[in-house]
Amino acid sequence: MPNILRETLEEGIFLLTFDRPDSDTNIFDFDTLSELESHLDAIASPEHHAKGLIITSAKPGVFIAGADLLALRKMNTEEVKTFIQRGQSVFNKLAALPFPTVAAVHGAAFSGGFELCLACDWRVASSAPETTLGLPETKLGLIPAWGGSTRLPRLLSVPKALDVILGAQVLPAAQALRAGLVNEVVPKEHLRLAARRWLERGKYEPGFAHSPAVNAMVDAVIAPGERHEVQQKTHGHFPAIEKALEVVLKGSASWDAADALERERDAIAELIASDTTRQLLNLHFAQERARKFSVPDAPAEVAAIKRTAVIGAGVMGSGIAQWLAAHGLPVILRDLDTTPLAEGMGNIAGLFAAGVRQRTFTEREARAGRDRISPVTTDVPLQRVDLVIEAATENLETKKTIFKRLDELVRPDAILATNTSALSISELAASTRNPRRVVGLHFFNPVHKMQLVEVIVGPETAPEVAQRVVRLMQQIGKLPVLVKNSPGFLVNRILVTYLAEAGALFWNGAEIKDIDAAMREFGMPMGPLRLIDEIGADVALEVSALLANAFPTRLHVPDVLPALQGTGLLGRKVGKGFYKYRRGAEASPNKEVAKLRPPGQLKPPSRDEIEQRLVLLMINEAARCLEERLVSSASEVDLAMVLGTSFAPFRGGPLRYADSIAVVKVAEELTRFAESAGPHYAPCGLIRDMAKSGKRFYED
Amino acid sequence: MSERLVIIDGVRTPFCKAGTELASLTADDLGRIAVDALLTRTGLDTALIDEVIFGCVSQPPEVANIARVIALRAGIPESVPAMTVHRSCASGFEAFTTASERLAAGRGSIFVVGGTESMSRQPALFQDITVRKFAELTKSRSTKDKLTALAAFRVADFEPRALVHVAQTDSFSGLSMGETADLLAREDGLTREQQDAFALQSHQRALAAEARLAEEITPVYLGSKPIARDNGPRADASMAALGALKPAFEKYGTVSSGNSAQPTDGAVALLVMSESRAKELGLQPIGALTAYAYTGCDPAYMGLGPVSAIEKVAQQSKLTPADADVVEIHETFAAQVLGVLSRIKPPIPPDKLNVNGGAIALGHPLGATGARLILTSLKELARRKAQRALVSLCVGGGQGSAIWLERI
Repeated sequence: MPNILRETLEEGIFLLTFDRPDSDTNIFDFDTLSELESHLDAIASPEHHAKGLIITSAKPGVFIAGADLLALRKMNTEEVKTFIQRGQSVFNKLAALPFPTVAAVHGAAFSGGFELCLACDWRVASSAPETTLGLPETKLGLIPAWGGSTRLPRLLSVPKALDVILGAQVLPAAQALRAGLVNEVVPKEHLRLAARRWLERGKYEPGFAHSPAVNAMVDAVIAPGERHEVQQKTHGHFPAIEKALEVVLKGSASWDAADALERERDAIAELIASDTTRQLLNLHFAQERARKFSVPDAPAEVAAIKRTAVIGAGVMGSGIAQWLAAHGLPVILRDLDTTPLAEGMGNIAGLFAAGVRQRTFTEREARAGRDRISPVTTDVPLQRVDLVIEAATENLETKKTIFKRLDELVRPDAILATNTSALSISELAASTRNPRRVVGLHFFNPVHKMQLVEVIVGPETAPEVAQRVVRLMQQIGKLPVLVKNSPGFLVNRILVTYLAEAGALFWNGAEIKDIDAAMREFGMPMGPLRLIDEIGADVALEVSALLANAFPTRLHVPDVLPALQGTGLLGRKVGKGFYKYRRGAEASPNKEVAKLRPPGQLKPPSRDEIEQRLVLLMINEAARCLEERLVSSASEVDLAMVLGTSFAPFRGGPLRYADSIAVVKVAEELTRFAESAGPHYAPCGLIRDMAKSGKRFYED
Repeated sequence: MSERLVIIDGVRTPFCKAGTELASLTADDLGRIAVDALLTRTGLDTALIDEVIFGCVSQPPEVANIARVIALRAGIPESVPAMTVHRSCASGFEAFTTASERLAAGRGSIFVVGGTESMSRQPALFQDITVRKFAELTKSRSTKDKLTALAAFRVADFEPRALVHVAQTDSFSGLSMGETADLLAREDGLTREQQDAFALQSHQRALAAEARLAEEITPVYLGSKPIARDNGPRADASMAALGALKPAFEKYGTVSSGNSAQPTDGAVALLVMSESRAKELGLQPIGALTAYAYTGCDPAYMGLGPVSAIEKVAQQSKLTPADADVVEIHETFAAQVLGVLSRIKPPIPPDKLNVNGGAIALGHPLGATGARLILTSLKELARRKAQRALVSLCVGGGQGSAIWLERI
């Protein structure tokens, strides 16, 4: 079946419509590229007297999503080069047609899909919300290599192209117009009309402003600054961004476009062969699965959640309410008194205002979002509500009281969810008449930035209930991971293991800067002690105590946490913790904390050993979670750790990383540290078994 | 006789003096807050609503039919129609009685009614002459013509006419509302002291009623502090302070800003329906509409409107002020209320009249006041476990309005 339909609109005006059979999306693979090429050849043949070409898509939500990434990931370096070259040559053919060409874009035009647009003379986009355009390749560890890195700087200027390419930007139509990515935005019904009008302009004539000569001068001026900035942001961990920068800088100044395209090819071939890119692609696929998965044993069709209530207007409650309202759901926001409620409403107003400043919303959308929130301080009827999310203080008794009351107020088919980071769902469920409808929803702070949501199910939770909640999270742009109820669930359990050990290392003589630098070098955005400061020593103490209680044989509250709490060095929120914080200055290690340590310190381990120990402990705990079947796959563990704790994404997550250094090695090292540093390093059963059988966490 | 219209619940924003805490909100913002709070606390399935009817005297220029905007912004389904009504100061009444007429005509049985007004955000108008000069400028093509047109502008042309002032001047008699009050005070021989004493009592009663009035209020959340109280009533009000204010309208007049209603922002929403629908839905009404009347009078004596309206409704319903347990006579001006009181037989005892203060203290958001009086008097009936309330408003342009309510 063909992927592309060719029609003649009028004498000499051709229309190519992408419509991949049996799919809701259009992608480029070898076949589609060949098909496009043969259409271009046919249209260009002299007997057709072609005067213009319009390219469009028949899919309701997608123009062309780009190259087939699944296929790309499986290719070896030579195959990648061939595939890329094939794309480049077809797009070159399109760009070289002697008559004008227009891309009429409705729906997503990403990566290769947008590069196709760039190979056209003109681009018109529909104003529909599903129309988004851009080059997100660097986020996946790739670079635009079908001419995007070459054509965009020549169209927009080098700095503007770098914003899009290095920022992996995907923009809604209106913003794409402002950024110069498209020539016009029209209602989707007028797309073809507008495209036809643009054909009248003839071929696009590149001006002098972004010619290689000018670009060469611009490059010389901006290159040092750009390189420095990229280094600051990536610490050398994201080679795709560095490569993209070099390809754009060198390619944009090159008189020979073929030379620039060759740079694209070489760069992407090298990137795809790299571990970093493979891991980023793996994460991308894991995210795609999270976006779509269904709960096992749940009915295929479940009733959508339409109206919600959030109990508690604190940081989490108001953040959740804002996110729900911003995604079209009415929210009753309940708190005990007007003062905390007002603070929550203030927070919500602030989030919407920031969204308007960042052009996430228009004024009108922000107002509609604010309007969806109904603040109350008394019990109101909740008969119309499908889901209540309780986000009160982390205290089991408080939550039980609230759940008992909610149980009486809501419809029998309404879902009761708790936003907790550690408390037991099952205990809470037991306080209601119908535990089947109780579920945990662990949102991360700040809600509007963190995509991950742990959906916690107890043995009593009905699969249908979990499914309805998972669908809602997917609908509002969160990435849900289904986790079985267990102390600390998935993310906090692994994270606390790591933070507690970092605290213990410090207490036993390692320095703040060494511990944090070791983990930053590994690829964490901030070191563990700095992270404790962000969380707050009091909160960290509370959560680690809870987990230490649950896992007494291997997890202990590090002595430094009670010491910090006792001296009021709670972290960033009070200006002092492991670090000192001053407005406008970089945080510097706080010497006071070192004085809290007991005398007679041993020689601290080296940075390398610190890194090794902390990472191994995380791997061990992650494997234990998998062993206990808290989640159904290693990829969910990895995705949750990367999204929830910013675990170095280019390492793919703790279990991917374990595979990359070999599980046998992990087991050996853990055993060695179990002897030298404490029995909590003893490898878990799963790792021991895998080491014996030579298995990996991932088969691919 | 058709079915009674009953009131299920009502709620309002705090009433805040124009230019103060609620000044940043538009009339539709205020109306939405009241309607949203009403629907949230009643839990009504909004698809059951037959119509939304709201009163507003000066609609913001950017919203035509403010009732519709309020309804949509409050999450009421698109399929539910909405209408804005205008009977000047009685617009809040009009929304309510229109619902009753809809019910009687068999055109719906569940209504959200109310009134809203932002007197902080009254539109300002260019003067007619200025508008003409702008038109001239737009028409000019050549630079010379443009310069000539520009040269015609005078500084005074840019003095705006606040719509609120325009609306509060009766276009028929040419008198401002304040001038009608001064006219009445002159002719009735009402002294400044009498009027100030009445105003002082309004403040004192409103202050004493703060906790009671709070039952009607849904807090407004702006910034990060709740706005939950009416800010009109003044604890520092005294005869001396009131006496120190200059006459507001006439050089030797007795009507001052202190003994007049304060321009104020606020909105009120009421859920009303037929008695049988309330029963079906298991909702307990707080009161019912018994009778009402609107009358006309000389626009120059608009303040006396309640006299004829109370008389007319008495003819229809056989209810006289003696039957009322609670009376609200809207306080546009102390002089106007005193003028009404002296003409009503039998006289209304002070312990039944405006017992929680009136608009002199609480303020007068034009479109909202009528609905507030209905809400306040029903709450007072419940507190007193009493039966009947008489609520009356004078109306700019020379009308009177009166409503009888009873507790259920």
